[in-house]
Amino acid sequence: MFGFSAKQLIGVAIFLFAIFVGVPLIIGVTGRWDFYFTLTSVALLAIASAGVWLTFYIGRINIGQGAFALIGAYVSAILVVKAGWSFWLSLPAAGVFAALVAVLIGLPILRLRGVYFAMITLVLTQVVTLTALALPITNGAKGISSIPLPSGVSLFGIPLIPDFGAMENTKLAFYYTACILMIVTYAALYRLVNSRLGHLCRSMQQNEELASSIGVNIAHIRIVIFAISSFFGGIGGAMFGSIAQSVYPSSFQVADSVNFMLNCFLGGLGYVFGPMLGTLVLYFGWDLLFELGKYQMLVYSIILIAVIRFLPNGLLSLRFGKGGDK
Amino acid sequence: MQRRTLMKAVVTAVALTALQATTAVAENPVLKIGFVGVTSGPAAAWGISNQRSMETRAAWINETGGYTIGGTTYDIEIVSFDDQKDPKRAIAGMEKMAQEGIHYVVGPNVDDGAAAVRPVAESNGIMYFPYAFPKSLYQAPASNAVLGMVANYQSGPAIYKYLMENEGVKTVAFIAANESDPLSQRDGGVAAAKALGLEVVSANVTYQVDTTDFTPVLTPIMRTQPDLLVLSGVSPANAPQLIRSARELGFQGMISTETAQDAGVLAEGAGDLANGFISVGGASTPELASPMMNEFVERYTKMFGEYNDESNTKVYALEYILETLKANPAALTDVAAFQKTMDTFEAPNPYMNGDAKLRYVGMSSFGQKRQVAVPLVVNVYRDGAFETLFVAEVD
Amino acid sequence: MEQILANGVYLGSQYAMIALGLTLIFALMNVLNFAHGQMYVIGGFVTYTFYGQWGVPFVLALVMSCVTLAILGALIEKFLFAPVIKGSAREESTMLLAAGIAFFLDALILLVFGEKQRGVPKIVDGVFNYDFRLIMPYDRILICALAILSIVAFIGLMQYTKTGRALRALAQDRTAAQLMGVNVDRYSMIGFALGAMLAGLVGGLLVTITGVNLGMGGPTSIKAFMMVMIGGAGVISGAIWGGIILGFMEAIGLAVLSQYGDITYLLIFISLMIFLAIRPQGLMGKPWG
Repeated sequence: MFGFSAKQLIGVAIFLFAIFVGVPLIIGVTGRWDFYFTLTSVALLAIASAGVWLTFYIGRINIGQGAFALIGAYVSAILVVKAGWSFWLSLPAAGVFAALVAVLIGLPILRLRGVYFAMITLVLTQVVTLTALALPITNGAKGISSIPLPSGVSLFGIPLIPDFGAMENTKLAFYYTACILMIVTYAALYRLVNSRLGHLCRSMQQNEELASSIGVNIAHIRIVIFAISSFFGGIGGAMFGSIAQSVYPSSFQVADSVNFMLNCFLGGLGYVFGPMLGTLVLYFGWDLLFELGKYQMLVYSIILIAVIRFLPNGLLSLRFGKGGDK
Repeated sequence: MQRRTLMKAVVTAVALTALQATTAVAENPVLKIGFVGVTSGPAAAWGISNQRSMETRAAWINETGGYTIGGTTYDIEIVSFDDQKDPKRAIAGMEKMAQEGIHYVVGPNVDDGAAAVRPVAESNGIMYFPYAFPKSLYQAPASNAVLGMVANYQSGPAIYKYLMENEGVKTVAFIAANESDPLSQRDGGVAAAKALGLEVVSANVTYQVDTTDFTPVLTPIMRTQPDLLVLSGVSPANAPQLIRSARELGFQGMISTETAQDAGVLAEGAGDLANGFISVGGASTPELASPMMNEFVERYTKMFGEYNDESNTKVYALEYILETLKANPAALTDVAAFQKTMDTFEAPNPYMNGDAKLRYVGMSSFGQKRQVAVPLVVNVYRDGAFETLFVAEVD
Repeated sequence: MEQILANGVYLGSQYAMIALGLTLIFALMNVLNFAHGQMYVIGGFVTYTFYGQWGVPFVLALVMSCVTLAILGALIEKFLFAPVIKGSAREESTMLLAAGIAFFLDALILLVFGEKQRGVPKIVDGVFNYDFRLIMPYDRILICALAILSIVAFIGLMQYTKTGRALRALAQDRTAAQLMGVNVDRYSMIGFALGAMLAGLVGGLLVTITGVNLGMGGPTSIKAFMMVMIGGAGVISGAIWGGIILGFMEAIGLAVLSQYGDITYLLIFISLMIFLAIRPQGLMGKPWG
């Protein structure tokens, strides 16, 4: 199947089994129902982080994903609340809108590289937050609250997606939705990286001038990649808005943009699944240290520093770095 | 090698913390009350004063034998969650509270967090006491949020009216930080001032949250020469700098805010320039504070080294929760019973001299009783301490 | 008008100082130091503790801020940045380390100095008032002068001392500097310590005007990044220009755009983005940083 080795297929199967059966089973046994939301968050943040990872792939440090997540959250919220759309339609619309914004902004700024690109994306996060505060359609400082839960979808009378509003407990439903979205995202990412486009991206990461000289249309590729990356951001943000049932200008801010980037670093820039692992460790780690009270931040940061000190190429380098079994 | 040992150590540490159960070695059964708010990062001051007030009171109760509700005496344990002022974390915090079997939570501290936790709180049967002002949180169909303090749209008009009558204030200017809470508070203040017949000479000057120098921000306002300058939703860190800059630019009028401030911070940051600054406080000015309030301040200071005057307004939420539970023990696990009791609940206010009462209010603002009745004490700063300007009631 | 210019000069001089330390570290090691703002805050708290709490003379307290931060910077470089730079495949990985250190210092500041806003007694009383057209408190004038003096001293150090020459050589071309006999490890450490010291110095100076609280760190770093970008990353003169330009942009922007209220900063940020898009390497930066 698509040229995967048996080993890879088994790995994927184990992973799918773990998140769809294993996690609910473990939570059911231990009674830690609060982990559902944490893991849902991890899945959604991992989607946005995947976008950041993709921009790293063309050699750009992206500290602007918070901007696109916020755009996605607002687009979905506005479509659902003001235009009465179904959430399931607003979700792709949010992604597409974020991608369109990325194309517009990307045209001028993707010429920048290194820290300059990083900085301009950081400023972009601020710009989007301030725009949300100033625009009437976003309700300014008051934000959009009381967003209805996703409604059901049925095709020819056959229910495809149940009505979230009618559910006793939406935790599990949101968890599954987020996981499915995450898996689709990473499958797409994996496919992309191993396609012709992926090879071109790698050559750009190495040396843009060289790639350009052998006839690669780098401007075009940059825009496409940045748009895909922002699409992921928009999807992640929109889904979050639906869980919180509210969106504020501060729902995604500079700190989030920075965190998305850190997720990629922590997992490892050289691995497609790096951002997923990075998000899990960074976000879930904070929750696990909850018992430490006022020392939570201190211990968290010390662990973070220790990890990067000894594994500067990310967590996944631990597995792939030495044995070389892949 | 090194890597492996390190990873092992990390994994063990994480696992240990995760498994570590909070087993209190007390004879009394434990009643857990939650706190979800910001206790790290830039806005840490808001949540920390909140959390410490609760911990001080809990330690005090436990030291004196516990709190009796319906014939059972409980030790009080405060479970705190740091949401880093991030609405996403706030939801996780509320989930954590549900996980711990907690039904009563104080916080979050800001608008976006309070709005974000609503679905979780309502589906898990948690009453929460935010320090955020949006009316939609407290109006039906919202049911589980109780405003833990006096809102700016309640205190603002009272202050403006007092100043109009006693100081002859005719014109007013507003300044706010460029983020949700202060901007909403400014809009509320502007509407209230206009309703009272004040002339609003400037209402759209804002500053970034990270501003450190307020002179350029204030310069345009100073030209309008207002009688009163309102610092809408100002954080305790920014207040002294704003006051100092305004005074140094030659501003002669009055300055006020509708949030709680700390006298020590004002003294350090603005010194004598802060004299006459009007803010909203609790009941800690000498003539109002009851012996119990004084003991609370004493215990807080002993426990944490330094008192924070912001805690004057934050001492109440825990007291309300416990007193209401005492009035109706069925509410321990049943939030609906709590909500029913709220309509009729009344108890003496232990922190204030005189016959002030603890009761729930909010009919005129929210159409349902979803606010704690905290005395609206308006303070004026003078030479390092607050003095009571006037006291009013919220209905 | 006079007031706007004076505000610009004052803001510009303090911004330039903050940006200097950041750009120095970036020039030497290609590290975008996310913890720069936290170092600035520590500098402020050290001066607060010595001058405000213990009554040590202000100048001595300033020196203590410088020393503390220089030591802290040297330790961080030697035990964290140097090994990570050596071990990582992509040098951007240091951003994660820098962010981790920023979190760590934030936690440390909260535990050691508490959550409250702190301030110190004024070092000079009184306000300079020229016919209400130009108002400037004397302590601001003094701090502004001290900041400009420090910047001049720093430029002198970089231009005319052996250390300065070695650092400049290192910034220009690491390998070449090494071949010419510059002890790269040692000077990287000195450079980092010097950058951290500048953060501490400006923190100590500004605590007399703005006070200090633990929330200032992150935003200060971000502001410093912007200045560095405006001027051009890794160039000393660029940082100074960047600071002055951002200072004037804010002073003028706030004065001219104040009637637009909420969107003043939005316009400032958008113009910054347009500027960078037109001139991607900043005013005087090396192309592609």
